[in-house]
Order: sequence, then structure tokens, then C-alpha cells
Amino acid sequence: MHATNATLPPEERTGPADAAGAPVARLFRSARLYAGSLALPVLIWQLVFFVAPLCFLVAMSFWVVQSYRLVPGFDAGSWAKVYGMSVFWDAYARTFAMAAGAAVLISVLAFPVTYVLAFRLSPAVRRLAMLMLVVPFFTSYLVRAYTWQVFLADDGIVNAALTAIGLPDLTMLNTVFGTFVGYVTLCLPLVILLQLMSVASVDRTLIEAAQNLRCSPMRTVFRVIIPASRVGLTLGATFCFILVFGDFVSPTYLGGGNAPTLGILITDFTKAGNQWPRAAVVAITMIATLLTVAFLAVRFAYKTKGERG
Amino acid sequence: MKTASAVSIGGRALGLYTALAYAFLFAPILASFVFSLNSARFPTLPLSGFSTEWYAALWADTAVWQAFGNSARIAVVTGLLATVFGFGAAYTDYRYNFFGKSAYLAIALLPPTVPVIILGLAMLSFLSRIALSGQVISVIIAHVVLATPFAMAVIRLRLSQMDTALEAAAWNLGASPWQSLRYVVLPFVWPALVSALFLTMAVSFDEYAIAWFVSGLNETVPVRILSILQGSVSPEINAIGSIVFTTSICLVVLAQVIYLRAAPAKAKETN
Amino acid sequence: MNRKTNLTRRGVMKGAAAAMLATTGLSGLAPGRAHAGTTELNMLSWYGHAEPEMIAAFEEQHNVRINKKYYVGGDQMLALLAQSPPGTYDIVLSDREYIEQLAAAEMIEPLDPADYPFDDFFPEFQKMPGHWQGDTLLSVMIRFGYLGLSYNEEALSPEDVRSYEILWNERLAGKVGHFDWHLPNYGTVSKSLGHDTPFDLSDAQWQAVQDRTSALKPQAAGFFDYGGVLSSLRSGQVLAVPGIGDWITGVLRRDGAPVNTAIPDEGGLLWAESLSIGRGSRHPELAREFIRYVLSPEGQVKTATLEAYPALLPTKSGWKALAEQNPEEAERQGMVLNGSNALDVLRDGRISLRALPAQQSLDDWNEAWSTYKNL
Repeated sequence: MHATNATLPPEERTGPADAAGAPVARLFRSARLYAGSLALPVLIWQLVFFVAPLCFLVAMSFWVVQSYRLVPGFDAGSWAKVYGMSVFWDAYARTFAMAAGAAVLISVLAFPVTYVLAFRLSPAVRRLAMLMLVVPFFTSYLVRAYTWQVFLADDGIVNAALTAIGLPDLTMLNTVFGTFVGYVTLCLPLVILLQLMSVASVDRTLIEAAQNLRCSPMRTVFRVIIPASRVGLTLGATFCFILVFGDFVSPTYLGGGNAPTLGILITDFTKAGNQWPRAAVVAITMIATLLTVAFLAVRFAYKTKGERG
Repeated sequence: MKTASAVSIGGRALGLYTALAYAFLFAPILASFVFSLNSARFPTLPLSGFSTEWYAALWADTAVWQAFGNSARIAVVTGLLATVFGFGAAYTDYRYNFFGKSAYLAIALLPPTVPVIILGLAMLSFLSRIALSGQVISVIIAHVVLATPFAMAVIRLRLSQMDTALEAAAWNLGASPWQSLRYVVLPFVWPALVSALFLTMAVSFDEYAIAWFVSGLNETVPVRILSILQGSVSPEINAIGSIVFTTSICLVVLAQVIYLRAAPAKAKETN
Repeated sequence: MNRKTNLTRRGVMKGAAAAMLATTGLSGLAPGRAHAGTTELNMLSWYGHAEPEMIAAFEEQHNVRINKKYYVGGDQMLALLAQSPPGTYDIVLSDREYIEQLAAAEMIEPLDPADYPFDDFFPEFQKMPGHWQGDTLLSVMIRFGYLGLSYNEEALSPEDVRSYEILWNERLAGKVGHFDWHLPNYGTVSKSLGHDTPFDLSDAQWQAVQDRTSALKPQAAGFFDYGGVLSSLRSGQVLAVPGIGDWITGVLRRDGAPVNTAIPDEGGLLWAESLSIGRGSRHPELAREFIRYVLSPEGQVKTATLEAYPALLPTKSGWKALAEQNPEEAERQGMVLNGSNALDVLRDGRISLRALPAQQSLDDWNEAWSTYKNL
């Protein structure tokens, strides 16, 4: 391992300042021990318990199903079958569009909250507000999605309220709107938290400087705060995309299973005579997609100004 | 004058918007609480009458209590392990450049990108081959895989705000890497560690798909909820949700109190 | 100064960690729960069959503890069994369609017919297709029910639901719900087209079934699992659901909902649940005792009135016991030995077994269903 920049740990510094001979080797060993004991546990854990099952998944996509039983083999039939289905490509395009839409929409919805938390609250209140964002996680997403049905149903709370103020009823449950309500429920807290990590650390002197230069608050947000917190904003949107892309709870319970997403399609495959190899093909395709998106996002997030050219 | 009032109107609008966002997040939770005390089995309007029967049913249901025990244990162990691993990965990314670093990062960050039901089946197939399926530990294994990237993301963000010269300064003053980790890095990322712990515990506490596959007969709370939701639809799920909600609110208040008690002490010392 | 701060923090962290470990008891991580003197039986079933109302009496009689695992679909059950070591589950409750697969995959033990009271069964159920392989008994039927057309009584009259045609009526635009499984949906549409063997279709007939189903799409409100069907029928979000039955509307009626199930003139389908003994079970005698318990009058009454979903009984003594203990429910479900009863529709020949497609592959049906949902 090589350290970056000028920030080498003492053991790895070379040059006249070094003590000579044996101690250097010992120190070098201890530096490797240091780096290794931080870097390796997670690597080993994920290799054994994640990569191995994943390899298994890839292998499984080449297996065949004979009267409900998975038989190991090497057959690309599942790949040909899934990629030849128009339903698959429709679902793929739909899922991608919905995930991208949700990532943008929820990031936009989250930002004003992030802004308030970062700049308008005292540290103590902010900490409480942040903890209150984690709390919903503990109340099962399943229960929360299910409970939204009561708000969105034709005879639900929202329509009762609309009727009370003389507005016409809306159909919300079992529509794309319903699905998005679920997505916001799922992602909003996490997106705010990730945004906050960056926004809260924007250098206050920058903001003050902008204000001293008579920059309007809006302009300050768009010219100073957003560019300076690109990492958190991008990560928030990316996690949102990832969560939505694989979710099947909201499309099922709030979208009514209309217009299937890839998550629903996977469940369908497993319902059809245990077609796990096909489900694996869909899963691998999803993984590849998400990996690409995440990779591009991370590159964008950490791209330095110089590279932007 | 004009700009000042515009700012305050904007400020109020922002405040209102934030309140609405929180209301949106808590609306289903509060509604669920209301329906947990409603006598009707299905949550419909108008409400049919106050009743604690669903809590009574829950109280009598030993399976639910076991599920609570399992979930709590799994969440705590998962949270601790994932936070430690997440820190290791985040620090490695922050500090080092080495051959295969992108592969390393990909492996550390990839798990949430795999659809959970697929990950569940793959995990079950794999773990059963090494005799590690159907136990509480199986769920911990799977949840650590899933939760570590969240911890890493949160901690990495915090690290990216740390001045790289800080650690170097510590070394120049003669600190060993372990010492600078302990006295420079850890204090700086401490808030992120706490956030990561809470977040990973939450991720574990709310995960149902993988847990369904690998838990065998050791049900967790979300697995129990899923089976009630798909199999019987009883307001017991609202009661479960409300209990968990109340408990987590209490934990939040507790954490706040601990922090507030620690904060003045810290302020005194640094002054 | 700084050190002190760290000490405080470390103190808090240590304390918190210690408290966490203490409260959750890391030592309890080891699998297995030892209960002195109590045998344990593991049961894999649809939701609700291992709740105290059903199993408590048996647990007490035999000093046994039943651990449960609920699944939400036959394929999920098969996948779980395939990945679990033999002997994990002693008792397996399954739908009729999957017994053959369970046997082919050697997941269940063959049974001795002499152990079970088949004399007490109505003749129709003594040799249930799928439960037997020649003379080998694979699984013992414990309950059954019909699938037809479930509807909201405030929106539709009994006259309306005498035919499945009403599903395509504009009165139900956007108000038809689907239980998200292709078999019962295509089965009832097939029935509505007059196919006597709804799952044994020529390709032309199968195409007709698909076309007829596609025409239903504008009517469809959504595709739901069991819980979703319950809630949406209850809330009036959907007004009619084909291919489900009293196992859903019976539950809602208990709750006072104005819903019911009709078997339209074109006929309906039959589902049956049965118990098997898992391959490699360490307690096969106890598992056998459990099956006998469920078939006893006591067990039959319990399973007929199961909280999760009610069902009809295959045994005569079960009907008798239910009529004595719960005449209202016996009347409601039509389990009365004298006069017209729930077996009439079956004996009229209007009911077909829900089954896997005979001439097409399950794949074809599933793909058609995914395509339909995608329309």
C-alpha cells in the first residue's frame, strides 16, 4: 500500500530523517499491520459472505430448472429467454426512469430541509432533528407503506379532506403517484442525512463572503452551497436511485402491482415454477446497472475542479 | 427593509416546508398508532372504537417477543460490526492509494445494489453449504454485508472534511499511526460513527427479505410483520410498529440527554 | 485538555457498549433453544396454521413445542425446502399443486394410509388426485375451499354475479382486483369461456383465454397479494375479484364487511391443503400424531374456523362436530349434512380442481400473466 499526497505515516517516510537499518524494517512492518488491520476485515468479510454468494448467483443464472428443481449446469437459456422478453425491457426502462425520477425529485424535495437543518437550527436542535430522521427507519417500512393506503384510498383520509374543503376526489392508490409516495417515504430521511453531511460543512466564510458581495440568498445557494456540497448531494441521489431501483414494496402495496418494475418481475419469475436462474439474470442485470450508475456518480462526486477542465 | 422582510418570509416558508416534510415522514407512523388502538381489523374510516385488544394479542404472542429479542440482538451486533468495518473501509479509501483500490471499494460498496430477494436466496444457498444457515448468526452475517456500505458512506463523508494535514502534524509530533488514529482521526469522525451505528442498526432492524430466507425458524420483527401483512393483515402490525416507534423515540431522547450532559463538560474543558 | 475530552467520550462509548451487550445478551447468539423435556416439531406452512388457537391443545397433549415458518407461496416454499438440510421441517402444509413436486424432489416422506381416517372422508376426497402416487400416499388432505367470484354486496347483486360476464361490465371499470397469481385468474376466465377442463387447454383455447383476459385490463385496479386483496375489498377500493373465495371473503364477513363469494353458473375451482411429513424428520411419529389431530373432530373444527382464513372440511365427523359446536359457522359455510350443502356444487360437476397447466408449460402461463400486467 502507498499513502497518498504528502501525508505519509512516519514509518513510510523516507529520507535523511529516517533511523537506519533494522528499525526501519520493523516500522515498515508495523505500518503494514496498521493499514492491513483497518483495510482487511471488511475485505475478508465481504469476500466470504458477499462475493462468494454473488459468484454463486452468477453460476445459478446458467443452471436449468427441471420440474421445479434447480439442476447445476451450463446453459445460457435463461439469458436468452429473459433478454428476448419484451416485458423485461419494458420493465427495465420503466424501473430506470422511475428510479432516476425519484432520485431527482427526492433530492430536490430534500434540499430545503437539509438547508434549514444546516443553517437555521442550533446544533442541539439540529442533532435532535437528525435523530428524528433515523427514527422512521425503525418503524418498519412495510408498516409505513401499508398505512399510506389509508391516506391514499378512494375513501381515504386525503380524499375526505379534499371533500371537506370542496375539492374533487383524486385517484391516488394503485397509481404511479402512490408508488412515488412510497419512494419518498423510503428515501427522504436517508437523502436528507447524506446531503446534510456535506452541506453542514460548507465553509461559513464562503457564504458570508457571498452575502457581503450582495449575493441574493438564492444565488448563494446555487453558486456557493450546492457546488460545495456536490459529494453529499450526489451520494444522496445515488443511494436513492439504488433503493428505488430494487424496491418492490411501494410498487406492490401503493402502486397496486400495475406496470411491473424489475423487482416485481423477479418475484414473478420465482413464482413461475421456481425460475431462479431467470430471476438471477434479472438480478445480475440490475446489479450491473446499479454498479455503473454508482461508479459514474462517485466519479462525478469526487471529481476535482482541475479535472473538470 | 424590503429585503429583510423578503428574507423572513422566505425563512418562514422554509420552516413551514421543513415542518411539512417531517409531518409527511411521521404521518404514516402516527396513523399506524391510531389504528393500533382501533377495534376494527382493517384500517378504514371512520374509526370504529377504542380498543387495546391488538396490544393484548401481541402481549400473549410469545413468537413476537422472541422476534423482538432476535431483532434487537441482530441489530446491535450488526450495528457494531458494520460501523467498525465501515470505518476501516472509509479510512482506507481516505488514506491510501493502492493497486486494486477501485475493486476494493466496489466490493465494499456493492451489496445494497443487489436486489434483496436475490441476495437472500444466494445467501441462503451459500450459507447452507457451509452450515451457517437458519440461525441468528446467519442474519447477522447477511446484515453486516448489507449495512457496512451505509456506515462507510457516512464515515467517508466525514473524513473528506478532515484536513489531511492534521494527521501529518500528529506524526511530525511523534505520534504513531495508532496514536494519531486514536487522538486525531477518531475524535474527528466520532459524530459520524454514532450516526453510522444508528443507521446500520436501523437498516438491520427494518430488513425483512434477506432475513426471511436465512433466519430459518428464528423470526425477526420485520419477518413477522411481513408474514402478518401477507398472511392475515391484523392491526397487530400497527401495534408492533407503535411499540418500536415509542422505543426508538425513547432511545433518541436518551441519546440527546447523554450528549447534552457530555457537551457542557466538553465546552468547559476546551475553554 | 483534549485527552480529558476523549476520556469522557470513551467513557460514554464504553458505557453504552456495555449496556448494549448486557441487555441483548451476546451469549444468546447460539442457535437452538433448549426446553427441558419438551420435544420440538418444526412446521412449514401458509400463514396461521401454527397459531395457538390451532396448536395449543396438541402441544399440551403431547408435551411438544411447535416452531413455525410461514411462507407466502408454493414456489417460495419449494425454494426454502430445497435450500434447507433434510430434517429441518417435520410437518409441511402445502397446496395440492405442489405435492407432486415435493415428492419428486424427495422433500417429503411417503405415508401409510392405514394411519389416517380415510373412512371418515367424503368419497370425493378419499383419493384426491395429486395426493397419491398410485397407491402411495404422499400427503393427507385436511381442508379445502372453492374459488369463484368475490364481490361487494353493496355494489353488485347476487343476480349480477351469476356470470363472470359482469367483470367486463363498465360498472366495474377500474374496480376489478386481481389476486396476483396466474392459475386462479386464468382458471376462472377459462371457466367463463365454458372450458370444462380449465387447465387442460389446446393452444387455440389458451389463446382465447389470454385474449379474454387482456380485455379485462381496462377494468383492473391492481394486482395484490392476500393481504392486499383483503384490504382493498374491505375498503371498497375494488368491488370484484375473480379466482378467490370464502377463504378471503369469509374473513372479511367476520369483520362485518359487505362482501361475499359466488360460484357463477359457469362454475368455479377447488383448492385443497394437505399435510405431509418432511423428509428426514427426527420425529415422524409425532408428526403423524399431529396430522391425526388435525383430522380429529377437534382439529377439524379448529381448522374450519381458523382465524387466518376459514375452509371447508373433508371429513364427515368434522362437519358433525362443527354443526354441534358452532352451528352458525356450519350454516354459513354450508357444512350441514342434511339438505343442500357445500358439496352440491361439487357434485353438480361445476367445480374443477385448480391445477397446473396440462398442455402448456407453467412458463407460458406465467409469461402471459407478466405480459398482461404490463399491458
